[in-house]
Amino acid sequence: MASHENFAEGSTRRRWSFKSIRRPKSSSVSGHDAPPRPASSDLAAWPELADSAVGNAWSRMCSQGTQTPNGGDGTQESGNVCLSGPRPRRRSSSTLSSFASSFRSAVRRTSLSVRTRHLPLTGHNPPQDAESNDTTYSKGSGRLQRAGSVSHHQRKSLASPSLDTTLEGSSLSISSTLVNQDSSPVPGNGSEPPKLPYDPSRGAAARAAAAAQNELLNFGRVALLKSEYLQDEAMFTRDSESGIGVDLRSPLDDLLEPSPEIPRKDLLAHFPTEISAHILSYLDVCSLARAERVSYAWRRAARSHHVWREVFHREYRRRPADQTLNSIHRRFGGEGIGKVVPDQDWKRMFKVRRALETRWQSGTAAAIYLNGHTDSLYCVQFDEDKIITGSRDQTLRVWDIHTFECTKVIGAPVPSAAVDAPPSPLQPGPLTVKTRGDDNSSQSIQAFFNVNPVRTTPSDYHKASILCLQFDDRILVTGSSDSTCIVWDIQNDYKPIRRLQQHTAGVLDVCFDERYIVSCSKDSTICVWDRHTGKLLKRLLGHRGPVNAVQLRGNLVASASGDCYAKLWNLDSGLCIKEFRSLERGLACVEFSEDSRYLLAGGNDQVIYKFDVNSGELVTTMRGHTGLVRSLHLDNANRRVVTGSYDMSIRVFDYDTGELIVSFPGWTTSWMLCAKSDYRRVVSTSQDGRALILDFGYQLDDIHMLEG
Amino acid sequence: MSNTIILTSSDNVEIPVDREVAERSILIKNMLEDVGDAAANEPIPIPNVNEAVLKKVIEWCVHHKGDPPAAADDETESRKRTTEIDEWDQKFMQVDQEMLFEIILAANYLDIKALLDVGCKTVANMIKGKSPEEIRKTFNITNDFTPEEEEQIRRENEWAEE
Repeated sequence: MASHENFAEGSTRRRWSFKSIRRPKSSSVSGHDAPPRPASSDLAAWPELADSAVGNAWSRMCSQGTQTPNGGDGTQESGNVCLSGPRPRRRSSSTLSSFASSFRSAVRRTSLSVRTRHLPLTGHNPPQDAESNDTTYSKGSGRLQRAGSVSHHQRKSLASPSLDTTLEGSSLSISSTLVNQDSSPVPGNGSEPPKLPYDPSRGAAARAAAAAQNELLNFGRVALLKSEYLQDEAMFTRDSESGIGVDLRSPLDDLLEPSPEIPRKDLLAHFPTEISAHILSYLDVCSLARAERVSYAWRRAARSHHVWREVFHREYRRRPADQTLNSIHRRFGGEGIGKVVPDQDWKRMFKVRRALETRWQSGTAAAIYLNGHTDSLYCVQFDEDKIITGSRDQTLRVWDIHTFECTKVIGAPVPSAAVDAPPSPLQPGPLTVKTRGDDNSSQSIQAFFNVNPVRTTPSDYHKASILCLQFDDRILVTGSSDSTCIVWDIQNDYKPIRRLQQHTAGVLDVCFDERYIVSCSKDSTICVWDRHTGKLLKRLLGHRGPVNAVQLRGNLVASASGDCYAKLWNLDSGLCIKEFRSLERGLACVEFSEDSRYLLAGGNDQVIYKFDVNSGELVTTMRGHTGLVRSLHLDNANRRVVTGSYDMSIRVFDYDTGELIVSFPGWTTSWMLCAKSDYRRVVSTSQDGRALILDFGYQLDDIHMLEG
Repeated sequence: MSNTIILTSSDNVEIPVDREVAERSILIKNMLEDVGDAAANEPIPIPNVNEAVLKKVIEWCVHHKGDPPAAADDETESRKRTTEIDEWDQKFMQVDQEMLFEIILAANYLDIKALLDVGCKTVANMIKGKSPEEIRKTFNITNDFTPEEEEQIRRENEWAEE
């Protein structure tokens, strides 16, 4: 069975043919789907948040924008600008064949390559009359922030004892937008626009005129334009007094508003700030964006960080039901919900997250290749700082997820499996820019630059292929064709702690939690070890073929085997409590949903099965792959299933519907052996000796804000 | 402990109410705990809420007497933070805007979180899906933006309006 062959390293086939690189289908739709992102100048064009710390933070962001490529400069440069470290030289005209040959020669170097698809960084027109708003918003925003924490706008009749101390906020009405702000003109600097002094008379006149205009145009009736409209309740009846009777309301409004005689009040004037914020935080982003256009006061309220924090968290924060699972969840990359810091700009974060989701949906990603291993990469895991890969070349490599540099190689002193000479680490490689022949918009940029990873030879190491790994913030556990597992101390420079010996054939998968380490093997058994002592606690017997994958949830273990069965085991009894059968052929991978309700399994049937754990029934079959489904990753927070297949593609499915969202065929030259994902990227490994990062957040403005 | 306590509204009307019902209000609950059972027979002044509103609030508390206590800030709560409102509450909230706002303020003052949530959701639903102009009409707000300003905000938020 093919899955076993590979696990057993039977196959040494390597496919270097570049014919197999096809332009991913989905790239054709990538262009227009992403929403326009403002250029970096846009940050500075709205210094309405320039109040106190926010302003500083924004200024910093603006100045960063000029230093880093993320600040929104051109789309076309995207390939080379993001790389830190030595800037590579660049050759702009390589043919396909010369590229292929240079690639062959360079592929074994420890190096980095970036392939990017065009990223639609649509320009955004800077606001045209920002100067008239800046200072106004600035003041208002600052007031709102203060008001948000302590002040209340109260009606005198309702002043409660507990609120009496906070009357400062009672000026939180539209009039507060008219507070003078004295400042001299400051010329623009770098990406910042000039700061002009606030002119209250001009702004007020404009607003009054606008208000008058709007009343006349929009309502089509004579309206009273007195400024006391907010507090004068008698004013609220003016709609019915106008006598013109133009009614622009939709039928829906009539349902909500029993009668025009009912006094209608601006809720912002009526409620303390925190109640207004509470109300607004129930809105969807679209309604919130519209609410910003209602009036000055509404704009301030609707864009407050407090409101957007709620909205952001409602949309994107998913806490696992069981808090103990949290650490496991976190180890697969990041959560993408940023940090909770004072004055965090949650609206901007939401915008980035939204843009990122659009890229996922349209399949718009930059491809970054990590070159260094000298043979197939069987396994990978990453967190927000590092990627760890394990290879047939018997080494582990640790990569910096931000710079993509290989920071560490752990393994035998001389790579015993090396077919070629090891790379000369100090020799910078060439940069090749390759444009796809069939579509100019799909650019492939291969950047090689020198890195000099520290090669560590620990006291103990695997002397055969590294087939599987898992790590948390303390330990790394690897499984190998040498039939053993090694537990490494992550906090102590990856020193080996102990070796787990029991299996009689290659260890095909491993997983662990706070208590147990579970390993499965080609010898058809599953071993359960004590995480802290390394003692063998149990052997789970029952599979009649190689056990290709295991997963651990509480006291349940899920396994998938070449014998066509996925099994569910009770750890306490050591017994199999449920079986799920594939249609025809062996299973290679398994995933347990976070709520333990569903089991996903994929394999040689080329599909992913979703079973209901309780009933044992097949719920959905996810289709699309045309080869063995070798790896499966469920990103529960983002409801995505990411799969890697022998058809050389990575596919992303919707976990809830089972529908194929996007497919990345031909981004590697051989079998996809492992793929994991988080909110912004897929990190995968291939038999072609490279790790491939599909970075959906590449050069997305403010993407760094999402890091935890 | 199924005793009755008396609340005095801002317009000096005494309203008898089941202690269990009244304790939906954290404010009243804490107050009763502080004064002890001896003083619990004294009328409790609620100076910020008038009779009509207080009766409405009590009506809500009676209906929701048996509700389980609110869950902590977890995933289920976060999921519930949509604007879905159960049917009884929807009917309950079918009052004029003045009363709706008064109920919200009273729920805030009396510290009845679930009622505050329902009230705020009801108002949010009045905003949801509306154009800026419709929102202005609903809440009687004057547009103090120039057309240019409004257009600028619209462009800035284009990403959010889909």
